[in-house]
Amino acid sequence: MSSVVIAKHVSKSFGSTKAVDDVSFSIEKGRITGLIGPNGAGKTTLLKALLGLTDCEGSLSVLGLDPFRQRKELMQNICFIADVAVLPRWIRVSQLLDFVEAVHPNFSRKKAEDLLQPTKVSAGAKVRQLSKGMVTQLHLSIITAIDAKLLILDEPTLGLDIIFRKEFYGNLLNDYFDGERTIVITTHQVEEIENLLTDVMFINDGRIILDASMEELPEQFAELMTSGDSADEARKLKPIFEREVFGKNILTFDGVQREKLSEFGDVRTPNIADLFVAKIKGAA
Amino acid sequence: MIANQVALIRRELWEHRSLYVVPAVLGLVIVLIQMTGQTAVSAFGTHIDIALLGATNIGPNERGAVISVLLTVLSGLLVMAMLILTAFYSLDSLYAERKDRSILFWRSMPVTDAETVLSKLITAVIVIPVITLAFIAATHLLVLFVSSIWVGMRGANVWHLIWSAVPLLDTWSATLIFMVALSLWLSPFIGWFLLVSAYTKRSPMLMAILPIIVLPMLERSIMKTTMLFDALFVRTGNLPIYRDIDLEGLLSSKESLRMAAENGISLVSMLDVGRFVTSPGLWLGLTVCGLFTTAAMYVRRFRGDS
Repeated sequence: MSSVVIAKHVSKSFGSTKAVDDVSFSIEKGRITGLIGPNGAGKTTLLKALLGLTDCEGSLSVLGLDPFRQRKELMQNICFIADVAVLPRWIRVSQLLDFVEAVHPNFSRKKAEDLLQPTKVSAGAKVRQLSKGMVTQLHLSIITAIDAKLLILDEPTLGLDIIFRKEFYGNLLNDYFDGERTIVITTHQVEEIENLLTDVMFINDGRIILDASMEELPEQFAELMTSGDSADEARKLKPIFEREVFGKNILTFDGVQREKLSEFGDVRTPNIADLFVAKIKGAA
Repeated sequence: MIANQVALIRRELWEHRSLYVVPAVLGLVIVLIQMTGQTAVSAFGTHIDIALLGATNIGPNERGAVISVLLTVLSGLLVMAMLILTAFYSLDSLYAERKDRSILFWRSMPVTDAETVLSKLITAVIVIPVITLAFIAATHLLVLFVSSIWVGMRGANVWHLIWSAVPLLDTWSATLIFMVALSLWLSPFIGWFLLVSAYTKRSPMLMAILPIIVLPMLERSIMKTTMLFDALFVRTGNLPIYRDIDLEGLLSSKESLRMAAENGISLVSMLDVGRFVTSPGLWLGLTVCGLFTTAAMYVRRFRGDS
């Protein structure tokens, strides 16, 4: 398998704050990786470095290119939507399509128009006349009409209603993802993307605290639901995190065999959101 | 590269509609004022009208010169508007995309920062003068057309009095040469405005103008020299494009006036393009513009969306 992204000791500081702190990882072709972290964890900075929008220390290669120095070449094969990337309010929908068509060799105008056709976004409308949901629809239509090797989505569905969000992720899997493309996605609504991810990366305080494939998670992590004396016994196995739900203790373990745990109660695989909280709070 | 430039410049015109709306409105206002004026003059009766034109007792060259001067005054109004528009445009061009937070979208396209900044420079230095010229020409034609109706309604020969006499091509060529030369001459300011526009977090106008005023004052009070003042203000007013014409001599001698009347006065012949392109001041200015523009490219590249 070939690596689409290779990061080695990547760091980025703003003044004395280290937004990204000596991060190394790789993302393989054909994977859908969720980059998950709390606000201010360094997600957006890391994505910007991947996109060549900010320089950084260390070595970073995306599609074999140096993103900061070869941003133009990179952008021909990469596309992204970020919650902070806003479409200009003065532009008309048709002008936007004209522009992208003129500068982007891998953009299919027909595809974008087909995607927009069922929506309420009309070609003559200005962006400022569209609702937030419609602007995102427009932006996503443009992005998905670009035949890119790597798609980076930074909070793509922020502020959209649940119907649209479900539809978007459904389309992403059915129409866009073909096993050849690679997707990196960040979102706070982890539950919604859990089922489409193949890999997950947790980032906190600029450091990657977990980098695993979804298949590895059940092998490595387990959640034990127990109470009373059993809980005390289970605590000796050093859970990374513990919480209480309806009088039951839920203990999260890293690298402890499930057979051992099942002596104390019900064992299951934690969902990503719970695992994320366990990793972040457990480390604190 | 060129296809990208065309797309980027089109983008500029979509965003900055004032670049053609303002000259269009100004042109229409000029024509409206003219119509009002002529209607008002008509109220005094027809006999003075044609006499006012001095139409029959001066030669075609003189008539052409008079009309040329009138048209040039109108051009002057639009050129002044152009200078103001260019200043506002260049100050806004790299600031607006950060203010409306669309910069990340633009940078998500396969276009380099250098190409983007270059498209803004080309728009300011070349595209705006060309657009302005189009509106100047349209205004001239409208003004002459309205005058033709007015003169025609009084039974005079419109072709003879106006259209055969007016050197339109000469006027327009001279105006275009002058405007492009002016833009190139003032390009260090455009470069500076682009840099401020890329750099500043707030009020680009203030940030651009303040150093231009304060630095020469400081230089004068601290170093007792006026180098900056000369470079910023004295140079600006001395566009080296006019041919050395002894205007006083021309106007004081009857002989030279007669010669001019016989041969006609060409505006283009008053401009000396050779002198302009070989003047060190132009190349120094273009170098300064290039440095500022390059700095603006780097600022856009390194600064991100903050």
